[in-house]
Amino acid sequence: MHTVVLPLVLFLGCLIGLAAALLLIGNLFGPHKITPVKRMPYESGMDPIHDTRRRFDVRFYLLAIAFLVFDVELLFLYPWAVAFGTGEGAEVAGGLSEGGPPLIFAGGMVFLTLLVLGYVYDWRKGVFRWR
Amino acid sequence: MSMWILLEALIKIFVIIGGLMTAAAYLVLLERRVAAWIQDRRGPNRVGIPLTNIRIFGLGQPIADGVKFIFKEEFIPGHVNRWLYVLAPSAMFVAAIVLFAAVPFGAVDLGIEGWEPIALVVMPGLDVGIVYIFAVGSIAVYGVVLGSWASNNKYAFFGGMRSAAQLISYEIPLGLGILGVVLASGSLRLDEIVQSQAETGVWNVFTQPLGFLVFLVAAFAEAGRLPFDLAETEQELVGGYHTEYSGIKLMMFLVAEYLHMVAASFLIVLLFFGGWHFWGLTGSEPVAGIGVALLRVVVLLAKFMLVVLFFMVARWSWPRFRFDQLMSLAWKVMLPLGLVNLVGLAFWIEYGRPRFSGANEWIVMAIGGWVLLVASWLVTTLLVPAASDNRPRLGPAAADLDTKEAASP
Repeated sequence: MHTVVLPLVLFLGCLIGLAAALLLIGNLFGPHKITPVKRMPYESGMDPIHDTRRRFDVRFYLLAIAFLVFDVELLFLYPWAVAFGTGEGAEVAGGLSEGGPPLIFAGGMVFLTLLVLGYVYDWRKGVFRWR
Repeated sequence: MSMWILLEALIKIFVIIGGLMTAAAYLVLLERRVAAWIQDRRGPNRVGIPLTNIRIFGLGQPIADGVKFIFKEEFIPGHVNRWLYVLAPSAMFVAAIVLFAAVPFGAVDLGIEGWEPIALVVMPGLDVGIVYIFAVGSIAVYGVVLGSWASNNKYAFFGGMRSAAQLISYEIPLGLGILGVVLASGSLRLDEIVQSQAETGVWNVFTQPLGFLVFLVAAFAEAGRLPFDLAETEQELVGGYHTEYSGIKLMMFLVAEYLHMVAASFLIVLLFFGGWHFWGLTGSEPVAGIGVALLRVVVLLAKFMLVVLFFMVARWSWPRFRFDQLMSLAWKVMLPLGLVNLVGLAFWIEYGRPRFSGANEWIVMAIGGWVLLVASWLVTTLLVPAASDNRPRLGPAAADLDTKEAASP
């Protein structure tokens, strides 16, 4: 197991080091002349009117919820795709036929039907409507 | 033993970091030259060796750009959230490169006694390669959202909101496109997916054109390339989420964005264009000798360059989408098409495949795939006005539509 994870940890370490080194190099070699105007937000030369962190459109939240639902359901489909594609575990799940294991196929189709029902509901509710 | 694993991993890591940084720099130059070619200009061709008159086709340009990034002022504006402001570009940079830990380049047998074959990938033996790439690729959203939120700038904020909505929306078609390939090859490992294509000699793009289309569009959107670069529409939002950044931190954002395109190109090649396989050239064994392994890397990189060139030409071939069009495309067109591809493939494996054998199987599968593509395209364009009618809805028509949709349960 650690032979799989070890290179990743090394890789991450190298990259974090590289990012830190780049930031340090930039700080060492660049000039440092801060003026009040430079410290202002850049909004095309106008003085900013108010803080940016205010309320924003609720559609973004709706979208995030819809995304969460579909993305998690997609994650459930990955193991299904592998099991169905290879036919592994067929003995426990309905026996081998000439195609994929029928029980895995049926299970996937039921799952996808539920997904589509939720999708149609979302569409009818206008979650995907952007104007 | 552990020493050798460490050494091997370190060599691969340095090769891939060096290669990617160089590739990002020189692909920018290539992109500028391609842009110039399309617009009938010359492009950057002046910078060669300093203090001489030698201009080697502008090959010095990326180095000059890098040096300039280093010597730019590195300051933190007064109104930002300091920690998040520094963290955002670093996180995006690290995530964009660490994604390549699972991108395989084949496996080589050096032919030395007692040596095991070396897999040309930073993380060999990772069984969930594609899930890993999918997961790490999603971290880009954090970089964008953190950067835009920390900047406390309205351009950055709008760019960040748009970008976050776009990235999460297109992740679903992206996943559906990948699922089709996983279903066809029955593995989550990228090298095994390539291997399954090499053994049959039939690339996934021939048998699942619909899945490829969905994946390609989603990959363009995830990389933030031009038809979908709503996050940083220069005309509206200055720079989008990196409006407030300068110097090295800006460079990290730009390199990370470019590497997203590089990663998307590699994925397209590996998943749909047979990776390092080419008929009659590279053979179909999982492990190759030095010569063939080198040839495979060359084939993979050649295919990768073709896809990158397609990305670059596409940039100057289509106008940018409007934001509501972008969202409708993801949710109302690409998601159903991805599902259709997945279900069609599942039905084929369950009921179609057992009836055919040998070459017939692939011919029938390819015909089915293309019929599915044309049929979906016809349905999308002809029967679903909600998806194809993309005129802006203003005035009475919009109010009418609202009442209609609100009245429905």
